[in-house]
Amino acid sequence: MKAWLRFLPSIVNKAIMSDAIKLFDIDFNILRAHITPRGGKMLVEISGPQETECVNYIEERGIQVTPIMKVVKKEAEKCIDCGACVSLCPVRAICVQDDWGIDIDNQICIACGFCINSCPTKAIILIE
Amino acid sequence: MKTVKEINQKIENGEAVVVTAAEMTRIVAEEGTKKAAEEIDVVTTGTFGAMCSSGAFLNFGHSDPPIKMTKTYLNGVEAYSGLAAVDSYLGATQINQNPEIGLDYGGAHVIEELIRGNEVELVAEAYGTDCYPLKNIETSISLEKINQATMVNPRNCYQNYAVAVNSTEETLYTYMGTLLPNFGNVTYSSAGELSPLINDPYFQTIGMGTRIFLCGAQGYIMGEGTQHSTDGERRNGVPTGSAGTLMLKGDMKQMDPDFVRGATMPKYGPTLYVGAGIPIPVLNEDIAARTAISDENITCKIIDYGVSRRSRPVIRETNYAELKTGKIEINGMEIPTSPLSSYKRAKMVAEELKSWIEKGDFFLSEPLINLPNRGHVVNPLEITRPSRLVKDIESKTVIITHPDDQIKDVARKLVDNNINHLPVVDNNGILEGIVTSWDIADAVAKGKTKLAEVMTRKVVIAREDEPVDVIARRIDKNNISGLPIVDKDNKVKGIITAEDISRLIGENVENENGEESL
Repeated sequence: MKAWLRFLPSIVNKAIMSDAIKLFDIDFNILRAHITPRGGKMLVEISGPQETECVNYIEERGIQVTPIMKVVKKEAEKCIDCGACVSLCPVRAICVQDDWGIDIDNQICIACGFCINSCPTKAIILIE
Repeated sequence: MKTVKEINQKIENGEAVVVTAAEMTRIVAEEGTKKAAEEIDVVTTGTFGAMCSSGAFLNFGHSDPPIKMTKTYLNGVEAYSGLAAVDSYLGATQINQNPEIGLDYGGAHVIEELIRGNEVELVAEAYGTDCYPLKNIETSISLEKINQATMVNPRNCYQNYAVAVNSTEETLYTYMGTLLPNFGNVTYSSAGELSPLINDPYFQTIGMGTRIFLCGAQGYIMGEGTQHSTDGERRNGVPTGSAGTLMLKGDMKQMDPDFVRGATMPKYGPTLYVGAGIPIPVLNEDIAARTAISDENITCKIIDYGVSRRSRPVIRETNYAELKTGKIEINGMEIPTSPLSSYKRAKMVAEELKSWIEKGDFFLSEPLINLPNRGHVVNPLEITRPSRLVKDIESKTVIITHPDDQIKDVARKLVDNNINHLPVVDNNGILEGIVTSWDIADAVAKGKTKLAEVMTRKVVIAREDEPVDVIARRIDKNNISGLPIVDKDNKVKGIITAEDISRLIGENVENENGEESL
């Protein structure tokens, strides 16, 4: 699963994720992170058989978990299917479909933001 | 074999056979040119790409009291107003007056906004005359309220175009989109086999007065566009580079926002995505054969945009069939490709034009004069004051340092020579890094003693045969104050600083004032 994890200032100095990884043997991948002493958030991918237990554990310890289906959103009315973004995606999450429309695969997307910054019509937004 | 008049009669009777250029390619492949030329009456083409050389003439109408506008701003974007009292020309690439908005909202966005029917703020200034006393105006306009809004695009629908790649180590932001370093991606812009001027490469049917599809309205070709060129290399009849262009006009009041869009190429600027389609009457077998061109038979060249000079090196040739697979091989690497023009919308343009003709809403027009198909070349702009090259200003002896030098010795060197930058070289004089007086201050503050710990290893460099203006841009872009000059073996030949460049500009000003040049 992909999820935004939000950290309150009171827990930024605790190694909750590290404990969770050891306890539940999960694969944990940080896609985006911005955490300061005043708290912050992190976009992560968590996977493994004990995924649910892991999420329950970190929630109990104060991390707010917001699972997301989509990392980025392409606004249909703004997108002109020019394809400028396609070759910039480092993980090939954006492809040209058979009808020449442009599609973003949110399963593959790592929220790097490259397409967002390079879109001529600003049609792609990060879902937070 | 057929005439435009006969085809128009068929359109009138609802009998014309119309296909898109992509369909025509398959039809000819299956049935041959002879049969296709007999059966097909019109081939529709289409493109939907970023066309920077676009804009609109607007006539606002007279206010009471009247004003002779000398400067006009539409939603903060300046339109040229040196045209009578209330006419102006809004260029697509004009950027916003507000530096905070800058490239994000320019002329192209205002054009889209007007076509959408939205209100646009108009601010105008004037000097005031007896007949036009008003000096300032602030109001709002909309497409409906103004007298004329005529899109006039000096250069649209390039016949073919370069394919872009970047060999340098930094990301480039260009009119060909974002180009990743080290051949990281490839961008191309032509719609290939659907593109208007590729389907009639010698302009047998296209010229002044040709009625076309322009941004969802019926528009016209005014003639050849600026930079129209005819004599370049051709393959299968089609130019392998930019070549022919069109000057187009259309009534914005009839346009459809689905077929026009204001956009911004990141860190480059605003541009207008224009949907344009030209109907090609299939008058004979030769024309039928031309419209049957397929993506694999349209050659184009991959150009290195990492070289910011007028003539850029060709990396290799390719064709649109290969580009459209989404990847291409360069130097043994597989590189992803991006179209910059929307092939999906180009198809929509060709389909829409086809349906207009089938329904009898659009008739073909015979051109008054065909577009010239030979004798046109693009002349370069020569700078009468030749641009200075890096080698023209390097004069000081090069002072260098070595990675294992002590910080205090480096500090001594900077002070003794009254300089701020020191290239760090190995025993053969090959560049390894750079150190500035700031780096040394920082090192002292942090108690570091070895130069190797503080020097910058990723150095932005200058080469001797590069124009100083290119270096000035590089200094600006990288937010640095000086760069080492190196030869092809990365051997340090000198250093060029922002100070050297400003001194040079100072000299130029003196020269213009009639003083003797160096």
